Amino acid sequence: MNFVIVLLALLGSVWLLAVVEGWTTTGRLRPAAPLLSGLAHLGRESIVPRTPDRVFFETAPVLLLIVAVLGAAVLPLAPTLVIADLATGALFINAALAYVLVALIMAGWGPNGAYAMIGGWRFLGQLIAYAMLIVMPITAVAMRAESLVTTVIVGSQDGLWNIVYQPLGFVLFFIAAMALAFRAPFDLPTAPGELGGGVDAEYTGVRLGVLRLARLTLVITLASATTVFYLGGWHGPLLPPWAWSLIKTLAVAVSMLLAGRYLPRIREADLMRWCWTLGIPLALLNIIVVGLLVLVVP
Amino acid sequence: MSILEQYGLLLALVLGIAATVLALFGIARAMGPTRREPGKDVPASSGVLSRDPVWGRYHARYYGYALLFLAFDMEMAFMYPWAVVYREVGLVALYDMGVFLAILFLGLLYGWSQGALRRQ
Repeated sequence: MNFVIVLLALLGSVWLLAVVEGWTTTGRLRPAAPLLSGLAHLGRESIVPRTPDRVFFETAPVLLLIVAVLGAAVLPLAPTLVIADLATGALFINAALAYVLVALIMAGWGPNGAYAMIGGWRFLGQLIAYAMLIVMPITAVAMRAESLVTTVIVGSQDGLWNIVYQPLGFVLFFIAAMALAFRAPFDLPTAPGELGGGVDAEYTGVRLGVLRLARLTLVITLASATTVFYLGGWHGPLLPPWAWSLIKTLAVAVSMLLAGRYLPRIREADLMRWCWTLGIPLALLNIIVVGLLVLVVP
Repeated sequence: MSILEQYGLLLALVLGIAATVLALFGIARAMGPTRREPGKDVPASSGVLSRDPVWGRYHARYYGYALLFLAFDMEMAFMYPWAVVYREVGLVALYDMGVFLAILFLGLLYGWSQGALRRQ
């Protein structure tokens, strides 16, 4: 039962995000647009480029969708509303999201096209930049919760959310999550206007449809992770728990979208330099500060 | 739910998504075939095949970061179990990991001073 509810909530959030994204780019609020464009993708030709690596080319969109949903499967919407409440939840989501890199390298390598390949390799550099900023803030979250179980992590934020307890960790995680979901200022692997679509370039028709669905799902998964780790998950007055989870998740997803609309795309070299010379020292500082807070404050 | 059931559920999720995508591919195929026309399958590069092979050697100009990344990634494997028992063990845990982190951080500073933190 949980299974169905969580998946439907995920699909619904993806649909809402797609509607908002269309609203910000075209200026018109059209609730049916994502469904119609999904149907249109089904009807279009899905061309396979000549001399592809067929296995990689076909696997990449499916793999991206699978890892995005697997990540969402360990994140709770309410105290009991979670697909798998694993003892290693916070670690599992890291493991699942590591495959985003694999999927994008596959999508870059598979079609044997120059722009796609450059997009794929670029994302490898992007991973080296953001990866530490995903795992280090989550460590600090686990230190406070004394557990890797996601429901316990949300429970530990009763009264004081982690965004107040460790604001530095939140900022780092939020930026890294945007880089992981390759949202606009960090959309190096797709880079519209510069790489001709990058890893998206060779996908058409139904395959492109799956790829776009996977990408939106990934954004929702990361927004949901931000909610669970930093924004107190289901905690909130008046409304039922699941409603708070969904509202916060959508708010984070939309704020990621808006941040991307007002910032220029960052270069790979700059991203790595800032992440390693500024981000990682700050993440280590965050761990030490949280470590002292955990011991001092009962 | 037992741990095996949970992982079983996750496996079912993986298979279910794969099956859904296959069904979508089937629907798309049923709606009409892809017409074969010359030049249509050339990868996006202004309509001509690229001059150089794409699957060639790529200069990973971030190799300095990549080596440091390996060290930090290994460190994170130790950090997760440490984080769970941190409050229980107390100040000793902070000292122990503090020394470990300080050594790693010195490594980062050394790499920085030697110019590892730039695109080569």
